[in-house]
Amino acid sequence: MSDYQVVIIGGGATGVGILRDLSMRGVSALLLEQGDLAHGTSSRFHGLLHSGARYAVKDPESATECIDENLILKKIAPHCISNTGGWFVQTQDDPPDYVEQWIKACAEAHIPIREISPSEAYRKEPLMSKSVLRVFEVPDATVDGFKIVWANAKSARRYGGQYKTYHQVERLVMEKERVVGVVTKNLLNGEEIMVGCDIVVNAAGAWASLVAGSIDIPLDVICDKGTLLAFNQRLFQRVINRLRPSGDGDIFVPHETITILGTTSQFVDSPQENDPNEEEVKKLLQIGEQVLPNLTKYRVIRAFSGVRPLHREDHDVPGVNVPGINKEEGRNVSRSFVLIDHGVHNGVQGFISIVGGKFTTYRLMAEKVSDWVAEKLGNMTPCRTATEDLLPEIPENLWKKAAQLLPYAPVGKMLERLQEDTESVLGEIQRDPRKGQMLCECEMVSMAEVEKTAADEDTHHLADIRRKTRLGMGTCQGAYCTYRALPLLWKRQEKYDAIEDELRDFLNQRWKGIRPILWGQQLRETELTRAIYASILQVRG
Amino acid sequence: MWDGIIIGGGLAGLLAGIRASERGKHILIISEGVGSLTYSSGALDFGDAGQLLNQENHPYALLGETSIRAGMDYFQRLFPDYQGKWGVTQNLLTPLGSPRKASIVPYGQNAESLQDARRIVLMAPDGMKDFFPEIIKTNLERSYPQCVVEVYPFRVGAFESWHAIGKSVTGMEYAKYWQSGPGISELKRVLNCLTMIFDGEVSSKKNETAVLFPGIATAFSDPLKEILSETPFPVIEMTAFPPSASGHNLYCALKQKFKSLGGELLFGTGVQRIELQGKLCDKAIVKSKGRYTAFSARSFILATGGIFGGGIEVTPEAAQETVLGLPLYVPAELTNSEFLGEQPYAHMGIEVDSELRPTGPGNKEVLFENLRVIGRMLAHWDPWTDNCGGGVSLATGWFAGEKL
Ligand SMILES: Cc1cc2nc3c(=O)[nH]c(=O)nc-3n(C[C@H](O)[C@H](O)[C@H](O)COP(=O)(O)OP(=O)(O)OC[C@H]3O[C@@H](n4cnc5c(N)ncnc54)[C@H](O)[C@@H]3O)c2cc1C
Ligand SMILES: Cc1cc2nc3c(=O)[nH]c(=O)nc-3n(C[C@H](O)[C@H](O)[C@H](O)COP(=O)(O)OP(=O)(O)OC[C@H]3O[C@@H](n4cnc5c(N)ncnc54)[C@H](O)[C@@H]3O)c2cc1C
Repeated sequence: MSDYQVVIIGGGATGVGILRDLSMRGVSALLLEQGDLAHGTSSRFHGLLHSGARYAVKDPESATECIDENLILKKIAPHCISNTGGWFVQTQDDPPDYVEQWIKACAEAHIPIREISPSEAYRKEPLMSKSVLRVFEVPDATVDGFKIVWANAKSARRYGGQYKTYHQVERLVMEKERVVGVVTKNLLNGEEIMVGCDIVVNAAGAWASLVAGSIDIPLDVICDKGTLLAFNQRLFQRVINRLRPSGDGDIFVPHETITILGTTSQFVDSPQENDPNEEEVKKLLQIGEQVLPNLTKYRVIRAFSGVRPLHREDHDVPGVNVPGINKEEGRNVSRSFVLIDHGVHNGVQGFISIVGGKFTTYRLMAEKVSDWVAEKLGNMTPCRTATEDLLPEIPENLWKKAAQLLPYAPVGKMLERLQEDTESVLGEIQRDPRKGQMLCECEMVSMAEVEKTAADEDTHHLADIRRKTRLGMGTCQGAYCTYRALPLLWKRQEKYDAIEDELRDFLNQRWKGIRPILWGQQLRETELTRAIYASILQVRG
Repeated sequence: MWDGIIIGGGLAGLLAGIRASERGKHILIISEGVGSLTYSSGALDFGDAGQLLNQENHPYALLGETSIRAGMDYFQRLFPDYQGKWGVTQNLLTPLGSPRKASIVPYGQNAESLQDARRIVLMAPDGMKDFFPEIIKTNLERSYPQCVVEVYPFRVGAFESWHAIGKSVTGMEYAKYWQSGPGISELKRVLNCLTMIFDGEVSSKKNETAVLFPGIATAFSDPLKEILSETPFPVIEMTAFPPSASGHNLYCALKQKFKSLGGELLFGTGVQRIELQGKLCDKAIVKSKGRYTAFSARSFILATGGIFGGGIEVTPEAAQETVLGLPLYVPAELTNSEFLGEQPYAHMGIEVDSELRPTGPGNKEVLFENLRVIGRMLAHWDPWTDNCGGGVSLATGWFAGEKL
């Protein structure tokens, strides 16, 4: 007997997208994620909702997918997207003959572009280098990865979909030539359980080959590490791309009050290798300078890296170190996605892998997977994710109530994060106005919201609270708010590690992103944070 | 013309200024900000001196035991409200109620008496920021298993309007209130209530009670010390999450002492650079209200507080000493993965000879005859793993004031 019709492995954008799509079609599905939702590549990326212009010349198929999805997501998930627009700018360092080629390719992919004069451009983006030659506007936008992943998970739940975090799939279970379930380990208590199902979907991103490998199916996923820098201010109002064949350090993406510059590209041996290093940081700054002079003057909050799962078509070549593939050039492998039916390729029924793609195309990838699954299950319900809103409308009276209890700035953010759960948080603040105080002053997260998040059944670590609320992601990188969250963890101590351990882990994770950018104000902040935790609170390293 | 100009008025700079003024020198301290004391616990750590004295290039090793001990004694003579003994540490409590040690401790913070207590009463002022009584209670129960821990919530009328709008009261604000006239009467009232409750109990229990009081700083306040010495039970202060009243009070006391000895303080503006005359520092150039002013002196002391104080600035390209551009020791590898473990970057600083005069890179040649470098500006130590933040600043500050 199967427990679910479908088990989905991986809680990134792709996995939760599939969970929602299947749940909307009435398919019973369980998603298993080894960490917290969005703890993989889906929170370690640029946050650019591609217009497709970046891929127009080299990968027209990706470009078309991107522009289509770009328009769809802007419609169904406006609360997760900021419609900033984007520019492609040609600097003196960029190849002059690329421009015409690019204009033509955008037209073919139906990506609307509009040239604007450099003088108008300087007026709108005063920090931009005064030596750019040509500027084109494209419909790029920015997307909040955490928000969209959580919104998908919540929506899926409303349709009956289920997910379990901190559940690692250890292996698939076979019967004859069929996958009939998975064995998963609860990483919080070590318990192993078997979950029976008709179909297993492998949406494990950069980990996908490990999952397939558990039943000896070779799957060629190349791990391509990319590093990004987060600046402490909004340097530009819109996305700024370099008008040249894609390379390192050529996109600035503004998010609320910060800006992310990236990315580098380097093949690594495992998705775990996601430590940013100093060389990558230096390289990014150097290239970024060509668009924004004196870039090193601006405060960097942290560096972080994600690992792109790239699929290579030729199945025969195992591993990465093969002649013909340059370790440095992840960009030459297609970023479009592939769906691999292991029944057809490997003679194993009931198992499908989805590999590659982009965040921008997560919905499309989910649709394709769900179509395949639905067909296998004989489910005729069509996909509705391209038209149905991701977020239920926030009732007017909830807005009003929130605005009465909290300062204006944090209200909208909180409503978008919490959606229908806002009601209970506001109730808490009404009961005890002190809980309306901002526990995280950088990101403006109220005490009541952190308390509620800490109590959520799928919150198990301080880092989970961070991902759900943005606690500790701002300028202070947790120096103050980490301490202030302690009593809320303590209240639920049965599910957290000892407070000292939670603290140490959290600080070490934050430190990973600060080590390669240890200068200026962030270094000063580091001295203070070490003083507070090592001296004032006597937490031992 | 001054006898000495001290750049930076934190713990190190102020102590140097006090000692030099006391010796009759005419001293000017120029300080941009208030320094790190206001963030600190108020207690001072000297670390494991026996070991640090043997650690190559450590400021302790350069100064030697005699000077460090002299600095420690001097400080306690200046401020009898601070108590400690060479080689002996005292117990006190962190803001989370865990036990910690320190070498010289302000009046009220010493928590030794908890060892003999059977009951700890934790005072919980209503709505105090960054104060978590439940966690403290648990930590106390773990560290003092022989004790029953009771939380005693109380409310202070003066902050009613804050509570009403959901605004919490910081420990600094509470501490300031307790030092005010109305605060002192209120404190008497609160402690009287406690005494009355305890009086109703059997005497054995009464005698074995210790009271923990967060958000109060008694050192340097005679009225507070008097009230607390009259209670039939020991009252113990807790160290605070930054900013801290104890640290701030020490800062104020240092400043006041310096001024009372005739020292002059130019506050809120930084020294831009030093004009040189051969191997001598000659004038400190200060920019204030758009104008540059030069101050001449026979001797100079650099006490600009390292990375946190602003004396060292690091860019992606280089690390720099901000006033004179002195050569800096910068370790090749800056960091390790364990945040609270050894971090080589913390050893960044100015290398000096045993007279604390800066030396050239890689050699022991003295760069300027009349300049000394003290406190967090010095190379080859880490206050957090060596546990000697206060000790180094205090000892080097005293030494520079003695020699000026
Ligand atoms: C530096 C960088 C910048 C990028 N910028 C952009 C951009 O601007 N725009 C854009 O559209 N795309 C961008 N991308 C690409 C995009 O981020 C990824 O394509 C997308 O996030 C992949 O999502 P996913 O769900 O497939 O993978 P992931 O988010 O990695 O999800 C896979 C999940 O599977 C889980 N998992 C793995 N193994 C197991 C197991 N055995 N059991 C349980 N769970 C398991 C993992 O923990 C992980 O959470 C960028 C990528 C990188 C690296
Ligand atoms: C959060 C925290 C907790 C601590 N806890 C403890 C503890 O529990 N025990 C302990 O022993 N120690 C502790 N310390 C350490 C101790 O307080 C410091 O080591 C010591 O105060 C450093 O003193 P300093 O005088 O060298 O520097 P600072 O106090 O930083 O003073 C430097 C001063 O120089 C000024 N300045 C900088 N540049 C210029 C310029 N160009 N011109 C003029 N002025 C300038 C700055 O504004 C500042 O006022 C703590 C420190 C911190 C930050």
